[in-house]
Amino acid sequence: MQEPSRMIRLITPRLGPALAVFVLAALWAFPTQGADVKPADLKPVVDPSADKLLKRMGDYLAQSAFFSVNAEIWQDVQLGSGQQVQAGRTVGLQVRRPDRFHAEVHSTRRNRELFYDGKSITLLDRIHSFYGSIPAPASLDQALDAASDRFGIEMPLEDLIVSDPYESAVRKIVSGRDIGPVTVLGTPCEHLAFSLGRVDWQIWIEDGMKPVPRKIIITYKDEEGTPEYTAIFSNWDFQTKLPDFLFVFEPPSGVSKIDVEEIKARNQTHQQEGK
Amino acid sequence: MRFANSILRRKIWASLAALLVAWPLLYAQHQQQGGRPEPAQRSEPARAPVQHSQPAFVNRSNHGNVRHVDTHAVSRPGQRPVEEPHNFNRHHDVYVHHDVDVDFHHPRHWNNFRFGTRFAILPVGCVSVVVGGSPYYYDDGLYYRPDNGGYQEVYPPVGADVPELPDGAVAIDAGGQTYYYAGGAFYVQQGDGYVIAPTPIGVTVPELPPGAIQVVVNGGIAYQFNGIYYQPVFVDGVTQYMTFMP
Repeated sequence: MQEPSRMIRLITPRLGPALAVFVLAALWAFPTQGADVKPADLKPVVDPSADKLLKRMGDYLAQSAFFSVNAEIWQDVQLGSGQQVQAGRTVGLQVRRPDRFHAEVHSTRRNRELFYDGKSITLLDRIHSFYGSIPAPASLDQALDAASDRFGIEMPLEDLIVSDPYESAVRKIVSGRDIGPVTVLGTPCEHLAFSLGRVDWQIWIEDGMKPVPRKIIITYKDEEGTPEYTAIFSNWDFQTKLPDFLFVFEPPSGVSKIDVEEIKARNQTHQQEGK
Repeated sequence: MRFANSILRRKIWASLAALLVAWPLLYAQHQQQGGRPEPAQRSEPARAPVQHSQPAFVNRSNHGNVRHVDTHAVSRPGQRPVEEPHNFNRHHDVYVHHDVDVDFHHPRHWNNFRFGTRFAILPVGCVSVVVGGSPYYYDDGLYYRPDNGGYQEVYPPVGADVPELPDGAVAIDAGGQTYYYAGGAFYVQQGDGYVIAPTPIGVTVPELPPGAIQVVVNGGIAYQFNGIYYQPVFVDGVTQYMTFMP
């Protein structure tokens, strides 16, 4: 039986290289795993000026009882050939807090509308003359989340619709900075840039008494081709009242009601088919 | 011997110390790269559906908001556009993204299908295929049969084995099987080619087969194509069509 101290002396030189390899592997493993979860845990590094301007804009929209705005959207799309092209469309949006919105999305071959009246969300496909409704919670935020999570419906410009646009925007931010003053279609704005890690976004906020967004760009860095989504806003209107009938869907003549498929049901169908 | 062990231990501790110093630098570099895969992967030629060759990239079905940026960031079972898997093609082009509001004018060859249309001569580029002992001719999603000295456009015949998918085919996962849908036909891969399978029931397709006829089934609007019915339904906020049998 050898003494413990002698055993340690004998074993240590042999374990040394193995220990080094183990430590090396552990050190490499931790950063790899950490990169996926760290952005949520990191304290955001946001320029106070950028934060202040974003909050001012968010508060302005949140405190507006109603508003309407138009947007021209340009979105990068990658073709199978690898060529990247832009697709365009326009959105007309009307919001009346706390529980109404209407949006019309229009392009050359597509035209759809979305109505939310505090009880349900209705989709209207004007090209194919179909409509469908889903029950919706009684608040804008919950309705937006239900539409997205349960039915895969993303509301156009929903970052402006939510009850607290500032809180909604900053909750996943990892960094933000104030790029500086610039004009958007002749309107003096402040250019802010934020990052969520895998997704960057920029916003141009109008200077002066009406701090509304004039332009937004979202860059999807984790998608092939790093596509961008660009929205340019015009005709902000906080004066014209928005009557009830704007948000209540009345089927036009000649349209037919169809089902709105729920994501959960879709996945269950696929699983059943797989049995 | 003791002297040699001492030197070895010193080397180990020096290595560990160097690693501890280098770790934060390596970590910062990794963070700066955002954990993204090296772009070198992207230069490889795509010979299979995009999602298979480049699994590291996210494919969102929606764009345009920060609030739900991660809600559907990973491709779900269902439909996905197909990268042309063969390379002896002409001008095939498909969308990598299938977004709700993206609007391009992109006619496919098989959009022109009209059952029974007669031709005196075959279109250039047709491939001869035999289905159940009968001769057919295939051209990018369209099928023809000899008829009275000419040729007649016919429905895609189940069992046809073609060398390439039609332009714009969309991959649909259902029942543990990947189908490639185009022009009212559901193809499955067999070896180097693709064979038309019987239409699976209960799957959703992004667009109607060309020439589908509107009918009324149980009081609701539906469409019929080659004996199969398609029911319109909103999926992800856009109109799509689910196959069914009344």
